[in-house]
Amino acid sequence: MFPGDPRQPTAAKPYVHPVMNPVDLPPDYSSLLAVMFGVVGVMLRNKAGSWLALIFCVQSFVNMKNVETDLKQVVMALTFAVMGMVTNYLGPASKA
Amino acid sequence: MGRSGRGEIHRWVGSLLRFDRLSWWLVVLAVLALLGQEIVRTSGLVVAVSAEFEGFGDELEEIEEDLGEPFVVPPPVLKEPGFQNDRGPPSEVEDDDETVDLKSDGISTPSSPSGLVKDSEVKKVQEFWDEDEFEGLPEETAEELIVTPPRETSPAGSKQSTPTAAAAATKKQVVPKGPQTYYIEAVSILFLIAYITVYFVGRKRNEKLALAWAAQFACKDGVFDKNFSLLGTGDGVDSPLLMKEGQNVFKFYASGRRYCEGLLATMDFQSRHDLIALIWYMISPRKDEMTVDVFMNEDSMDSLVFAVARRKNAKTMHKERADLLQYASIINVTNRKWLSEELTAISESREVATDLMTDALLEQVFGEKAFEKFASHFISMHFTDQSPYGAHRKVLQFKFTIPSEDRMAEMSRLISTVTYFIDAVGRYKLSPQTRLKAENARAKVAQEAFKENQGARHEALLRKKEERRKALEEAEAAKLSPEFMRKREEKERARQLKKAMPKIKMTRAH
Repeated sequence: MFPGDPRQPTAAKPYVHPVMNPVDLPPDYSSLLAVMFGVVGVMLRNKAGSWLALIFCVQSFVNMKNVETDLKQVVMALTFAVMGMVTNYLGPASKA
Repeated sequence: MGRSGRGEIHRWVGSLLRFDRLSWWLVVLAVLALLGQEIVRTSGLVVAVSAEFEGFGDELEEIEEDLGEPFVVPPPVLKEPGFQNDRGPPSEVEDDDETVDLKSDGISTPSSPSGLVKDSEVKKVQEFWDEDEFEGLPEETAEELIVTPPRETSPAGSKQSTPTAAAAATKKQVVPKGPQTYYIEAVSILFLIAYITVYFVGRKRNEKLALAWAAQFACKDGVFDKNFSLLGTGDGVDSPLLMKEGQNVFKFYASGRRYCEGLLATMDFQSRHDLIALIWYMISPRKDEMTVDVFMNEDSMDSLVFAVARRKNAKTMHKERADLLQYASIINVTNRKWLSEELTAISESREVATDLMTDALLEQVFGEKAFEKFASHFISMHFTDQSPYGAHRKVLQFKFTIPSEDRMAEMSRLISTVTYFIDAVGRYKLSPQTRLKAENARAKVAQEAFKENQGARHEALLRKKEERRKALEEAEAAKLSPEFMRKREEKERARQLKKAMPKIKMTRAH
């Protein structure tokens, strides 16, 4: 539509990955839910809570993008979920 | 620099090795190790171990009750001596002693074979029994085991009190020793297995779609190859074209063209790799979207704000985007051929809108007839020199939906409009009046922003002044040792003199 070769090799700029401030990132709802359910599972000795926490942990791991590798919340959620599992299944007050 | 799978892994490992992350992982490992230990420990001898913890070993032998039996895992084993004999309570006491001895020897081996046989016997015997006759019996105590192991810690003399209540109600529960059902566990494990399967399947599908798009448009002799000299994000010849940012986000970068610094195409697919998201899509579905951002050169683009969107989304788009809200308004053109009815234009000035939407363009892409045929995947288009997002201000942004991989060619006209508009906007010059208007509008906005900033800056300055004042006051208050200060100053002067002295001497020696 317009004449000439539009390419300009001299003007080529290599890609610069945008720096993301961790504060600006969209909130990771699945890890938030995982932490909530994990706390529920541990505190209230709720098996379903612990399992749900585990599932949401897996979801947040899966949805993690390269740009935002903020593992702290996910690892915290995972810790809660595992603690919940241990308490519910192997703890002294567990129902068999 | 390319973000291939390897790059992902490198970043992951790098982040892992940072110390705080390492400590997190150590915490997780510690917890998992504890978990493993627990599992190993409690695999066969759950109750025996807990009995040890609860210090029952000795108490049982002292107290002539059936409480010895609950602490052996399979209740039938315990009942075996009692059921077999059908004796009254006193005889059962003897048997309890036996079982207690068995227990102390190490229960499993002697009791287990007989235990298996006794399962059926137990059931038969239960039918023959009169509940009321036998109180404080193994089955009752076995219930105690099932219901509340801690309760057994307080057996003293409460032989009759504890069992009777539990006996009638939970007699049938005696035989199964674990939880009744494993619904939650089964459902959860099935869900996890399904989740992992969906992850791999969905990820592959997204990758396929992305590659199909790239094959259609970004490969050799494709639209982008003809327009840009640098494709992809890597350095070498063999660098990958696409950058995978997440399981459903892919980026394509191109650079080296007149009028623009570069082009970034971001593909945002449905989260096909996430089962929970797929379930959510049943309620509120979404399409695969592509956003193309073209970063224009500073001197290639005049001050214009222009957007085209689908009729339904136009109002929300107008409100959401700060620059559209500030500078532009919805435009209705009736006196000439214009966009399809499906589309609405939002622009700062009518002139810009009519100039950019040339007849040829309307005929081929955005007009009445052409739109349905060629531009069905169009979502929106937004040209601005005051972009509210990101660092770059002069941006052309296009949004399309992505068709399935076998229908990729449907997008080709829309992709060619991208390159068309780079040139069109790059060459376009506003008329003097429009330019003046535009400049004035921007100056106004800039002034207002400056005033707001000034307010904030003023406050910051005041705060700093106060802090300085406080510091000075403190210094004055700390005139505890002004003499000390004077002495220090004298010392410093003396030192300086000393330093000066030898030099003079040396020069004299010359």
